Amino acid sequence: MALGAVAFIVWLAVPAIASRSIVDVLVFTALYAIAGLGVSFLLGHCGIVTLAQSVFYGVGAYSAAYCTTQLGWAAPAGFLAGMGISAILAAVVGWPVLRLSGYFLALATLALGIIGHVLFLEWDWLTGGTLGIGGIPHLELFGLMLNTPQRFYYLAWLVLAIVLWLHANLLNSRTGVAMRALRDAPTAAAALGVDNHALKAKVFVLSAVLGSLAGSLFAHYVSFVSADSFGVDRAISFLLLAVLGGARTIIGPVLGALFVTVMPHALSTLGDIHALLFAAGLVVAVIFLPDGLAGLLQRALGRREQA
Amino acid sequence: MDLTLLLQSALAGLTNGFVYALIGLGLSVIFRGTRIINAMQGEFALIGGMASYVLLESLGVALPVAALGGAVLGGITGVLVEAVLVRPMRRRGASEESYLLLTLGVAFAISAAVLYFFGRDARLLPGIGGEASALFFDAAIRVHAIWLIVIASAVMALLWLFYHRTVVGLSMMAASVDEQGATTVGINVPLMRTLTFLLGGLVGGLAGVLVSPLITIHYEMGLLLTLKGFAAAILGGLANPFGAVVGGVTLGLVESGAVLYFASGYKDVVSMVILIVIMIVMPNGMLGRGARKGG
Amino acid sequence: MSGQLAVTDVRHSFRGLHVLRGVSFDVANGSLTGLIGPNGAGKSTLFNIVSGFLRPDAGTVALDGADVSRQSVQQRARGGLMRTFQTPQVFPHLSVFENLMMGSYRLTHDGVLGGLLALPRARAATRQMREAADAACDRFHLGAVRDRLAGTLPGGQQRLLELARAVAAKPRLLCLDEPSSGLNAAEVEQLMTMLLALNREGLTILLVSHDMNLVAIASTIHVLCFGEIIAAGPLDRVREDPRVREAYLGV
Repeated sequence: MALGAVAFIVWLAVPAIASRSIVDVLVFTALYAIAGLGVSFLLGHCGIVTLAQSVFYGVGAYSAAYCTTQLGWAAPAGFLAGMGISAILAAVVGWPVLRLSGYFLALATLALGIIGHVLFLEWDWLTGGTLGIGGIPHLELFGLMLNTPQRFYYLAWLVLAIVLWLHANLLNSRTGVAMRALRDAPTAAAALGVDNHALKAKVFVLSAVLGSLAGSLFAHYVSFVSADSFGVDRAISFLLLAVLGGARTIIGPVLGALFVTVMPHALSTLGDIHALLFAAGLVVAVIFLPDGLAGLLQRALGRREQA
Repeated sequence: MDLTLLLQSALAGLTNGFVYALIGLGLSVIFRGTRIINAMQGEFALIGGMASYVLLESLGVALPVAALGGAVLGGITGVLVEAVLVRPMRRRGASEESYLLLTLGVAFAISAAVLYFFGRDARLLPGIGGEASALFFDAAIRVHAIWLIVIASAVMALLWLFYHRTVVGLSMMAASVDEQGATTVGINVPLMRTLTFLLGGLVGGLAGVLVSPLITIHYEMGLLLTLKGFAAAILGGLANPFGAVVGGVTLGLVESGAVLYFASGYKDVVSMVILIVIMIVMPNGMLGRGARKGG
Repeated sequence: MSGQLAVTDVRHSFRGLHVLRGVSFDVANGSLTGLIGPNGAGKSTLFNIVSGFLRPDAGTVALDGADVSRQSVQQRARGGLMRTFQTPQVFPHLSVFENLMMGSYRLTHDGVLGGLLALPRARAATRQMREAADAACDRFHLGAVRDRLAGTLPGGQQRLLELARAVAAKPRLLCLDEPSSGLNAAEVEQLMTMLLALNREGLTILLVSHDMNLVAIASTIHVLCFGEIIAAGPLDRVREDPRVREAYLGV
């Protein structure tokens, strides 16, 4: 508990102490953690590898951009439109695709990621293609313009905290237990009355909504979006942070997101080698850290180990 | 529709189709031998292409030797990946997803390494017959593309002979179908798995060498190549050695057909949609036969 | 009035091999019915057809008079048809307690949204599952291993856990597939006592096994041989049937 209080105080104080560029990186940590949470959720509790999260991240970002700049709607409308479109898209695409499993499913989602990226580029009447959409307004909360990294930091992390809380709720609920059961032994779950396919589809939709939420936040934060931000490499970052952080824990995606955002920043002075170190990190994590950073942390803190 | 244009696009599709087939062939070799979908098959091609480029341009080696060097380096990479990375995972009894994540990770590492050491420039290898083209009615096809098709066909035939006529080839199949049975009759199963990766790497490296005069070598080329190759292999049936060729050519033709009607950017959309639909509707591919074990 | 479970003229073949050739039998409400047969008789196939894992080529399966032939596995499970597996299927990375919670999945309701927001309805569902799991823990003496991961239990206890989980679902019909395989003599004895007790409480049980000893506790026994029911009735009568003797003893 004491540890939690210290962490909270540090978190509060960061924008006051840290440099602007660090705070900027930490905003991205929160955004990645929100989107990555969806990926982590699918991986850790349903055993589904998804490389399509970049698509929903993009849908969220473009919805926010299009609704505010082209349609002149208020920001919340853009958020809702993005989440709604993502949910429908995930349901329509997920229903057939989630019949697949293992390699086939993973590669199908990778194919979806590529399709999404191409469409973001080609549908320039909607997305602006490579030129993108600029001039997305900053968010305003209770009369306060969130136009600096410091201000946005609090919003992004607050949203993350809420999302994490919801996630914890779900894990402890009937649906959460059923999800883990489905991951462990799908046959037995079906024999107990779990509709495996429908449950997977629901979680896929949920994951897409999280991706969209993060994407909308991203658009309002950077106020410019272009197709470059929604390539397969972004989907890979989301998957990477889930694997690295430890997909079976609640805190895992946050640790993973910290790694994925802070590391490149720290290594950026080294130039292009940061990408290499990064990929090597993924390989090492897959081989040596089956429970991810969260597992490592758990062991370090000497908490109860999973048998 | 202009007939020449149609023929031209068919020839382009055929050429691309054999490129996909070569990648798919390597994927299917590794899948048949180890039940692993190797997400870094395209990176073997990247390594093969880049290595022969360096041998040729920087070290001044003759083209055939450089080409051989590229393929061999692909094979060596395959052996290293299997021995250093895949084996420890197998000992742990890793899941299908973990192997995919592993090979994806290695793919990014290789891509990033190429970026770091060679930069973002795209490079071209000289082709067999240089820039010369052959005329086929009124449609042109690069002489090199014809060679690519011939060599890819030869590789396929050699692989067929290898798997059906040689002791090593038969042992490799036995080791993947029934590990315990193979061990009891004295087959060194781990060695067979390493050899499988060697073979997959060689085929991948060769693919890179053959492709590089047509498609530029570029640090990002691997992933999409892997996916197209996978689509080819799936389309034809992963378990079937001829599948990759049938699937690759089909995919290539459909893609180039699509380009006639849609903006060229949609080419990848078409092939990715085909990939997804085939996996759902015909998981055993067009040629059927053979279970999709572990899929 | 047909029995709780009515299997009518079920036929099934694999690649031209007729595994089941017109099998009909009933499991009466409240009975403990056995289905025996030598290896390869088609028991597993029949069992999978009853529970919905296989679609028969022809014939129907009805539960309480309602045709369930077209229902999926999970639909039948939610309707109260519970099964166990020849190799016990526990959720290895879930605790024993969580495994038992899953038993009452079919009796509880709540969706993803309710779970996310921890709505009262969702919390009530979780509470109900926990209470049922607690009760099952006591009844099947699993309290000592309550928090262990199910995958770490020895085989006999996994089988017990699977049974306890199925019973926690309060099934209308409990189908057990070779429940004694992998158990030692004492454990089989325990199992028999337990099944008799459950049956006395009104649970309808279909027991599929090749083990004559175990099936002896059933009040009615159907004998399946080469895809056909060759005899039915109480143990004594079935045992005297010449065709059964031939099938089992080869005389």
